[in-house]
Amino acid sequence: MSNYYNMPKLPTENSPKVEIFVDDKPVMVPGDTNLLEALKAVGIETPHVCYHPYLPVSGNCRQCLVEQEGPRGRMLVIACYTPVSPGMKIYTPASSARVKNARKATQEFMLVNHPLDCPICDKAGECTLQENYMEAGQNESRMRPEYGKNYHGNPEHQFIDAKGQLRGGKHVDLGPRVLLDEERCVQCDRCVRFMRSIAGSEQLQLAGRADHTYITTFPGEKLDHEYDLCVTDVCPVGAMTAKYFRFQKRVWLLSHTPTVSMDDSLGANIWLDYADGHIYRVMPRCNPVVNRSWLSNTSRLAFQEFDKNRLPSMEVHTPAFGNGKIAIVAGGTCTLEDLAAIRMLKEKLGDRAEIFGGSLLKVDAPDGIAKSGDPVANRAGMKLLGFADVADFMKRASEFETLVTVNADLFGEDPAAAGVLEKINCRVAITPFDDATAKKATIAMGVRHWSEVQGTMVNSLNMLQKLNACPVCPDENLWAAYQVVSYMAGSKFEAAADAFKKAGEYAPVLAGLTYDAIKSTGKLLEGGEA
Amino acid sequence: MRVIKQKPMTWGERLYIFEALRGLFTTLKHAARGLFRYEELPTISYPEGQPEVRNTYRAKHRLMLRPDGSPRCVACGMCAAACPAHCIFIEATASDDPRIEKKVKRFDIDHLTCVFCGLCAEACPVDALRMDTKKISFEHRSREEFVAHLEDLTNWDPKDYPDDEQSQVAPGGTKNAEARKVWGMEVK
Amino acid sequence: MDIIESKTWIEWLITIAKFAFCFVPVLYILLLIPMERRGAGFMQDRQGPNRSYIKIPYFGKIRLLGYVQNMCDGTKLFFKEMFAPAGVNKVLYYVAPAIPFAIVFLSPCVIPWFGPMVFEWGGQMVRIPGSIIDSDVGVLLLFGFSSLSAFGAVLAGWASKSKYSFLGALRTSSMTISYEVCLGLSMMGILLLAGSFNLTDIVSWQEHHVWGIVAQPVAFFCFLIASIAETGRAPFDVAEGEPELVAGYHTEYGAMQFGLFYMGEYSHICINSFLIATLFLGGYSVPFITTETMQAHMGGSLTVLCGVLAFLALAFLHMIHRYSKKLAATNLTNRFEILREYKLYNIVAWAAVVVLVILAFFAWFFYNPQSMVIGGVAVGSLSTALGTALIHLLVLVVKSVIFCWVWIWVRWTLPRFRYDHVMSLGWKIILNIALINLVVTAVIAKLVGGN
Repeated sequence: MSNYYNMPKLPTENSPKVEIFVDDKPVMVPGDTNLLEALKAVGIETPHVCYHPYLPVSGNCRQCLVEQEGPRGRMLVIACYTPVSPGMKIYTPASSARVKNARKATQEFMLVNHPLDCPICDKAGECTLQENYMEAGQNESRMRPEYGKNYHGNPEHQFIDAKGQLRGGKHVDLGPRVLLDEERCVQCDRCVRFMRSIAGSEQLQLAGRADHTYITTFPGEKLDHEYDLCVTDVCPVGAMTAKYFRFQKRVWLLSHTPTVSMDDSLGANIWLDYADGHIYRVMPRCNPVVNRSWLSNTSRLAFQEFDKNRLPSMEVHTPAFGNGKIAIVAGGTCTLEDLAAIRMLKEKLGDRAEIFGGSLLKVDAPDGIAKSGDPVANRAGMKLLGFADVADFMKRASEFETLVTVNADLFGEDPAAAGVLEKINCRVAITPFDDATAKKATIAMGVRHWSEVQGTMVNSLNMLQKLNACPVCPDENLWAAYQVVSYMAGSKFEAAADAFKKAGEYAPVLAGLTYDAIKSTGKLLEGGEA
Repeated sequence: MRVIKQKPMTWGERLYIFEALRGLFTTLKHAARGLFRYEELPTISYPEGQPEVRNTYRAKHRLMLRPDGSPRCVACGMCAAACPAHCIFIEATASDDPRIEKKVKRFDIDHLTCVFCGLCAEACPVDALRMDTKKISFEHRSREEFVAHLEDLTNWDPKDYPDDEQSQVAPGGTKNAEARKVWGMEVK
Repeated sequence: MDIIESKTWIEWLITIAKFAFCFVPVLYILLLIPMERRGAGFMQDRQGPNRSYIKIPYFGKIRLLGYVQNMCDGTKLFFKEMFAPAGVNKVLYYVAPAIPFAIVFLSPCVIPWFGPMVFEWGGQMVRIPGSIIDSDVGVLLLFGFSSLSAFGAVLAGWASKSKYSFLGALRTSSMTISYEVCLGLSMMGILLLAGSFNLTDIVSWQEHHVWGIVAQPVAFFCFLIASIAETGRAPFDVAEGEPELVAGYHTEYGAMQFGLFYMGEYSHICINSFLIATLFLGGYSVPFITTETMQAHMGGSLTVLCGVLAFLALAFLHMIHRYSKKLAATNLTNRFEILREYKLYNIVAWAAVVVLVILAFFAWFFYNPQSMVIGGVAVGSLSTALGTALIHLLVLVVKSVIFCWVWIWVRWTLPRFRYDHVMSLGWKIILNIALINLVVTAVIAKLVGGN
């Protein structure tokens, strides 16, 4: 399905090292990649607009020009499409005025039709064009002084381009989630390449020629895809904007928490961008193995529900578990710490307690981008800690007198199961949300959401990944789920690290690990395959 | 670095008494001026008499208005970014007016925190924020009232700024009619 | 009964009335406080306190040129709660402030307020001295009284149970002792010349010879410095030096207790001013005119007095007029209120001018002691004596006010001395100068006067 033609080869740890000459100085660079990545590997940043490490190279922006010594003298080549070869001689702006001028000219040319509306552009602050301007441009504008500086268009969403022609497209509604501003577009065609090569659904196209080129959908069609918000990420300028984040916050005011999305067993790496105690957006965090730079709309927009319909904090107490059999069901968003605490509770209660994990939702096929289709994020972790599948529990539900659900909305996931579950007398729900299970429970206790706790999870690739706490919890007194469960088990974990240590006792692969040993891109556990 | 050596005191100065008499004479001059030329004292009887405020004085802020009376502010947050005291709070929203992309929903300046440095007015890309109101005294009953909201900041009269063309563009100003024509349509 | 019958009723009346002079220092406080506060303001190019006002129905606000402020402050001090710190000796603590204030009523007794009144009453000559106690040791008595005020400070410092107060009290007592010596010695020269401890005699010597300030300039200078130091005012106010001792001996006092210290200090200034005026500025004597000449031309003298007062009123009118013009041109929001108040002053001052001119007219043309007979008793002689006393009193007041101003003037000009400097100045410089001055004076007096 995917079209990997022209995909850039990225350097890995195993790349062969070759010697090239940069500014007449010999350096060792990865040999199996393009020049841009090779220079980046030795610390030389090359400004670029159209190049994206996970998109096919198109080489149309000409911003990454460097000089190469060739048989016909020194030639300007684009770094992103030139493979590294041993002994090649490269000249960067550090030594070559020609490269410097060429980049500056390219930059100026690109800015000819780009409006000067950074103050109202949502991309401002993380805009590739801005960064390039500061690095390679810094030229005085040769346009009419006020050109592009009016922050208001006309009622038909038209704008006047550098030639003085009136053109439309200031406010193109591409689809349900994305808006396009054609004036800001620099025609790098990253979005087109993303939809074609990564999303596999060619919904965007470049139309027109020369400086009239513009991005559009097929007539009558809309941009509507599970991954369509990724075009706003890949867009180097503010042309593509996500409707949900439009004008919400200037990006430099956002703080970022690196964590892992817990709604899918691939565990897509994400940034939680927050300010003033609210998450404003979720951005994909680059992890070459897991989700590269992509994130599904489901994972991306899930944050909008994080602080809604929450259970308040209350005094945590241990329920009387009676004499009958007890089932403890861990939901898909349970971290390893939660699972370790559940396991501890089970061992305290003895043989009459059984632990299950999973959800009643059906498992889809992996889409090959950033989703594995399994809604139980930590299924591998449950396997590690010896949790039985929840399907097993549903078969034998009538045996149990007590049901403890941790982050598991069994009632909500399968309304048909309610009849079976309601026969269990004592139902304890430990969950962040006031969901169906919490409503039906005899005791419901609020806990922190996974975005607000520190923890770990094992994804479907058997990678141990780290979650970090984002300081957006609506109630500071809320406990994390592992704290509540361990309190019931008799010894409360004060820190997530304690619970992780406990998990190491139950699962030998985790033994001896600490949070510091887990890289931001995760750690491959023994027995897993990348 | 330039070192200025203190002049050693002369014999007369060290005797103190003559210098003391000289000082007494100085104060006597001032006292006589106060007594016989009371009106020449530089003091201004403050609440009744107001000091003369120059045009360039950084006084209370105001937000400039478009010909239709909406604030000119595009909620870019440049002022808040420039503010060293972090006293400007801006929330933006998409505008209903199709010609304007972004408009300001909330614009608060906490004048208790403000240091009146003028960097916000400098930073404004659309000349929307100015500090030329010449209002130098702030008296309110509670801390909350010191926070100027959008309504306070846009509530000014073009008649108070007769020499300023940009202010006359606002509703009620002398240039409002022609500015409206240039602006185009009547805005709801 | 014999004592009572030995004097006529008019003699008794005047003698008893003289006791009113005990209150002069207290009245001076009312003058000194505004003088100090607005004087300080003027020296620092400020306006001084001028905002308090009394609201008069149907007229408006009256500020009395800022005088109301002092009433307000006094009222505030008077009605503030008095309290003592925990663990102090309550009796001493409460008595201490009263001591300097009580002295204030004793000291004026020996000051000659006017020359001896000599007049004919009922066929016999009556002589009434100008001071309440016409003592031959008047000066010594005065020093005795003013030294007593140190007790107040010492007791206050001791009773306050505070280190600051205690240190302040120590400094006060040592300074008082040191500078009393200087005071006494520097005064000796003039006493030597006059040949008497009686203040009336000293004044009459000055009246008939030359003023003390001319005869004893060095002594005058030493005396002035020493008496500033003795009152504990800047630049010698180390006893209450704020940077070191918070407020010195009255650190722990508030309300009217503090007020009493404050008033005691001002009264002390007043008494010292009177003393300097008496010893070195000819006391009550009118410059360049002997009392006899003045009495011989009583009508003219009174006319001149009225003229001087009328001139002062006119000067005041001129200032008011000039300031009103300036004020009317400003845009102060309360300018009409102030202008209306000034109009009131205008009326009062013009009325005063008119009255004074009429009085001067009558004094010039119709003053004739020979023809003044009331109820068959010739009062011409009495009225001349009374007029003389009035002029004397006014002259003395003017002289003392000049010295009060010196106190204030020095305070707001010179920075405070360090404590050891104060002591070395007193013992090593002033005392020696005064001693040398005394010796030189004695030698010269012996050579010139022969006696």
